[in-house]
Amino acid sequence: MDIDDILAEVSGDGSPPETRDLQELTRAWVTERSAPELLPWPSDLMDRVLGRIHQQIEVVEEQVGNVDPKTNFRLIIIQTELERFKYLVRSFLRTRMAKIDQYTLYMLSNPTQTARLSACELQYANSHQTLLEAHYRSSFLSQFPTSLQRLDDTAGGISMIEQPDPDAAVFVRALRNIEEPVVIEGTDTDFQMRRGDVYVVRWSAVQEHVLSGDAELI
Amino acid sequence: MALTLPPGLTPPEVAFLCEMELVTVIPRQRLEGLQLLGGPTVPLIPPHRTPLPLWLALLLKRQNRANIFPPPWLSPSSLDAILQLETSSPEFSDTPPLPRSTTPVSPPFLPSATADAPPDALPYHWLELSTLLLEAASDDIPSADHVRRLLRDLREVRMAKLRAGVEVLEGGREVKMNGVGAMEVSEGRAFIGGVVDGLRKLGAGREISRREREGEEGGLGTGGEGDNEDDMEY
Repeated sequence: MDIDDILAEVSGDGSPPETRDLQELTRAWVTERSAPELLPWPSDLMDRVLGRIHQQIEVVEEQVGNVDPKTNFRLIIIQTELERFKYLVRSFLRTRMAKIDQYTLYMLSNPTQTARLSACELQYANSHQTLLEAHYRSSFLSQFPTSLQRLDDTAGGISMIEQPDPDAAVFVRALRNIEEPVVIEGTDTDFQMRRGDVYVVRWSAVQEHVLSGDAELI
Repeated sequence: MALTLPPGLTPPEVAFLCEMELVTVIPRQRLEGLQLLGGPTVPLIPPHRTPLPLWLALLLKRQNRANIFPPPWLSPSSLDAILQLETSSPEFSDTPPLPRSTTPVSPPFLPSATADAPPDALPYHWLELSTLLLEAASDDIPSADHVRRLLRDLREVRMAKLRAGVEVLEGGREVKMNGVGAMEVSEGRAFIGGVVDGLRKLGAGREISRREREGEEGGLGTGGEGDNEDDMEY
């Protein structure tokens, strides 16, 4: 063990904050792409990442037009990486948007779900829903009997509000040893998850571990 | 515009993820350190081996500015040994040991494809990584054709395991899949997830009656609470 290892152990894994943010963003993206429901908006992380992307674009704009071949190649690398970052952010946002589109009413009617949206996403969800309702009303709903005009009817045991399936199967990997056995509700099954273990299991059984950062979806 | 892809990463997305893996390059030209969004890069000074993310290594390689030092497991002798291991056990071979670290790091940010990666284990992104390296840097990999053949064998053995593993799927239970690769997850997700979901729905009646029975027992024990749950169900 040399001095670098010791330093690395003292200060987390020794990687600079930018690298840690890239790891966090990548994990958030993969987890969001795999999870059946919308996950909380990582506002601090996104503020930092978007701020840096903004700065990097300014750097590129300043240096573009420089004819020195050396600077030119550096610029190519910086721009390639910039595009990769933008793709990551864009795919993350679009994944969230797809879930918001699908479960708008459920999210707007449930305070814990609403709290997971960013300010922009909340605004989007509200205006999207208002537009949709206005359109339905003007095109056909107004001609229905009043009792059939609601879009959020839950009478008769069947809810019109579409919800994500909390029991959908997900691929999960433990990031830390989870001390308590993971219990699958409704069955007499429980199992231990050690760091690095990969399981296929229903989302509801591991949701809290994923939200607390002890596990990630893959 | 909302994304229209199904849940879970698609193969191109897995490849994108894999390009964040660190590999070791042997630079042929100097390149000063760059302030990238994902953290600063180390200055490249030939012929010092330097770890770089795969996307950057491939960019340098394509322009003939660096050579890639293949990970130790991407050699005929290592792959042969791993193939022996894979054929002798019904489970996937072990992934490389995890480094001791206070912050939980996971692929693609584990150093599992650099020059000092363990030679006896396939990392999570083994298939994509070896494909990308063989495509762009086959001249840096000793006996590339033999390696290609072994990789194809490995892939077949592991795919057979993935298919055979479906037999142990049981409704409502968890399935352990340690050692599975990223591309294998991507390919198997729709089928395995579908089977697990389908079996759970078939077993749903049993689970509901079980919950009700537990609710009743709980109601007898604590009084009141169980009854309330029943009221809500009907």
